[in-house]
Amino acid sequence: MYSETFKDHLANPRNAGDLEAADAVAEQTNPVCGDRLRLSLRLRGGRIEAARFLAYGCAPTLACGSALAELLEGLTPAEAARLTRSRITDALGGLPPRKQHAAALALETLRSALEQLA
Amino acid sequence: MQRVYLDHSATTPTDPRVVEALMPYLTASFGNPSSVHFYGQEARAAVDRARREVAALVGARPNEMVFLSGGTEANNLAIRGVAEQHAEHGRHLITSSIEHSSVRGICDALERRGWEVTRLPAYEEGVVRVEDVRAALRPDTVLVTVMLANNEIGTVQPVAELGALVRERRAAGQKYLWLHTDAVQAPGRMPLDVDALGCDLLSLSAHKLHAPKGVGALYVRRGTRLTAQNLGGHQERERRAGTESVPLIVGFGEAARLAREELDERVARMRAQRDRFEAGLSERVSDVVFNGDRLRRLPHISNVSFRFVEGEGLLINLDMQGVAVSTGSACSSGSLEPSPVIRALGRDDELARGSIRFSLGKDTTDADIDYVLEVLPRAVENLRRLSPLYQKALAERMGVGCQAPGAG
Repeated sequence: MYSETFKDHLANPRNAGDLEAADAVAEQTNPVCGDRLRLSLRLRGGRIEAARFLAYGCAPTLACGSALAELLEGLTPAEAARLTRSRITDALGGLPPRKQHAAALALETLRSALEQLA
Repeated sequence: MQRVYLDHSATTPTDPRVVEALMPYLTASFGNPSSVHFYGQEARAAVDRARREVAALVGARPNEMVFLSGGTEANNLAIRGVAEQHAEHGRHLITSSIEHSSVRGICDALERRGWEVTRLPAYEEGVVRVEDVRAALRPDTVLVTVMLANNEIGTVQPVAELGALVRERRAAGQKYLWLHTDAVQAPGRMPLDVDALGCDLLSLSAHKLHAPKGVGALYVRRGTRLTAQNLGGHQERERRAGTESVPLIVGFGEAARLAREELDERVARMRAQRDRFEAGLSERVSDVVFNGDRLRRLPHISNVSFRFVEGEGLLINLDMQGVAVSTGSACSSGSLEPSPVIRALGRDDELARGSIRFSLGKDTTDADIDYVLEVLPRAVENLRRLSPLYQKALAERMGVGCQAPGAG
């Protein structure tokens, strides 16, 4: 059901936690199932220097948070805004069709964080 | 990798003794029990022997047992069979809010077809109250269906008291009233006797007692009339048409014999392991809530809600370390709502979503429990570190008295 890459993100979450002196902190909830994702970003020299996530929810929500936080570091906010759902799911080795909502929550949280940087 | 299977309420490994007993009926003894020749009679004799064993498991007469495909079909034949047979006498059913999804689904379907269904609460302890059933009974009630033991939290329901109540009503003139109980979780885990329970119908499934999937039985008390749901053959005394699955029935018979003979030993073993697991868990993990009455329950189930984490994440974490369990979380069942059983106990959404069922088996070892007690606290801790709910609780508790969550 889940890929090895996915399981690795679950076993070894990348960039988990909160961030000191964050420039943006966004938390979004999936109103249907109650999953939550919190994303903290810190900028330096116009790029995302650090990205951290916290997540409560099913395994895909946790893994998407981890993949997203890992993808973001080093990007400019403009580059980050161009991230797609499939980019996140590809980073996890794919997601089952009925788990796509987890990637949608990740993107929504990212958008909300980027708005704070704009 | 070490593997520990703690999902015996979902299904059990097939006992090698059961496999050995049924093998000849997959090969040389292939006859159709309805055939008159040697091959048929050999198969018929095997089915009859199995029927005696399964009847003995529940203290019934052999001709009161109907073999069919499993627990879900048994529940269908019992509930729809009685409801349809006696529709002219009444169209009211009483059930509980913690039934297995098959019973819930059947009652919902009957409701859409014009029957009225009363669903009784199970309260915080997960046990239906007899006085609620008494109060819900109406002159047009034809069936009370309440499970013997719950599949998620293991709580044992007062079926014997309901049996007495139903008999009392019948003696007082309500002729068309029956009691069905879904006993799928019970064999090999508690003693079973249809007369002590006073039920008219009782559902069984073989794969919960170390036999293969695809076979089960419905006990139908002599004199209880039902509308057959499977038509087109004379098998099972006209109550379930279709050629009997001889190998599976033989396996079921052997498993029933073993479950009856080894009951005390299995119960003592599982209870000791389960209690050790719960004591160890309480020592090692904070913010856990045990679901369901701790005393009135099957000896092999422990249902625990872990605050601040979601069940599916924990399930997959445990699976990656070789531990197989199940969860009441919505994500894993494919529905959007978390377990209706845990919700029926009055638990909030977070606790329902964070519930995990550990169900032990007759062969669960000390080493299995030790291993789970080693990996589980770590898995919970890791998920909590990721959880914004936990971080929030941590901040709040630090604010009010410098306590880490779970302290005190």
